[in-house]
Amino acid sequence: MYVYIYDNWLRAKKFASTVKAMEIRLTDFGIAGKIVRLQNYTDAKALIDDEVRRGAKTIVVVGNDKTFGQILSGAATAGCIFGFLPVGGDNTIAEVLGIPIGADACTVLSRRRIEKLDIGWVNNRYFVSQLKAGPGQLEVFYDERFRVTGQNLLEVVVCNLQPWFWKRNSQDRNFEVVHPQDGKLEAWLRPLTRKRFWGYSYEDPSIFPFSEMEIKSQEPFTVEADGKITKEIRIKIKLAPERVNMIVGRDRKF
Amino acid sequence: MIFQKPAVKQSDFSISAHPEEPGAIRDEVETVVGPSVNVEGDFGSEGNIVVKGTVSGSVRTSKHLFVEMGAKIMANVKAGTSKVSGEVKGNIKVKDTLELTATARVLGDIDAKILIIEAGAIVSGRVSMPGLEGVDAKAAPRLARLGARRLSEEAPAVTL
Repeated sequence: MYVYIYDNWLRAKKFASTVKAMEIRLTDFGIAGKIVRLQNYTDAKALIDDEVRRGAKTIVVVGNDKTFGQILSGAATAGCIFGFLPVGGDNTIAEVLGIPIGADACTVLSRRRIEKLDIGWVNNRYFVSQLKAGPGQLEVFYDERFRVTGQNLLEVVVCNLQPWFWKRNSQDRNFEVVHPQDGKLEAWLRPLTRKRFWGYSYEDPSIFPFSEMEIKSQEPFTVEADGKITKEIRIKIKLAPERVNMIVGRDRKF
Repeated sequence: MIFQKPAVKQSDFSISAHPEEPGAIRDEVETVVGPSVNVEGDFGSEGNIVVKGTVSGSVRTSKHLFVEMGAKIMANVKAGTSKVSGEVKGNIKVKDTLELTATARVLGDIDAKILIIEAGAIVSGRVSMPGLEGVDAKAAPRLARLGARRLSEEAPAVTL
């Protein structure tokens, strides 16, 4: 049985035609199912656990990167198969998973090509897309073997499924695709050096693949994981290998 | 079209060990120590390592290690192959080829199968390479002296 979790913003008029086209396509393929709409304070884990208990075998997330992160970070271990139907903008994870945006994603869903994906684990919760820590006076310990520090401030980005966009300068926009299947997470460290008069400028990043990492600081630093922002002084990031069963497309980037 | 936002260039980004080959070995490069980053401890990787910053402790990889110009390694180094353009203070043990470019400065012993030294590179330390295991280390200077004496006996004396 399929359960479709729609994000709340899909009620907007501009997405009505796409959603309708998707529903028609799903009915044609014979994989239409129950529709649940996410509200502002919906607990994704409780919702999915409830649906799995009622017999749901496949949970399909309908929305964008934020919807995907919100649901999978809470319910990654629900023990069901996850699908994704990307709608609208901010859909970078869909590209990595090889899922086209809009009604064409239903074809990928119907083919049910299932892959096990690695996810990240940070301070007792999962993250599927991306984690960003800092900038701050951070100390990074990798696999309890070596320590990395910057001369000034340091920003750490851990990429799992979501590619990380960063700029060398204001004109440039570079794009890096991270492979979720390589058995390691990738951490990008960007040191910030003080400019001549005021402000900071980013330096070339360092890249460290890892399976366990600890970030410490004397002062609290901002941690953003799957869109959830917290302040921490110490975080431990681990890799949870092959934790999520996901329906992916043929053109996936791993 | 004038006001169109610049499109995302997918193949634009590359962290290349060799600047003349943009994007050529992106798939092979795994660990990059950027400039103004300090690494302390037992720094090891299964893949290629590119060092642009400072590393102290020990460095270990079974694949390629590239020490860029301006980079500093204060550690013993073990690698499959290596190209050094920066400064290394410590012993270097390379399984296959070690290349020292003109800007390289090595203060330590070198152990490599193949050693390439470009003119201008500075090395201070003992160099050992496999292939001379049959020659007795103590006998080598004596043999050299004998050879030199024999040469001087054979060669006619030249006086100006």
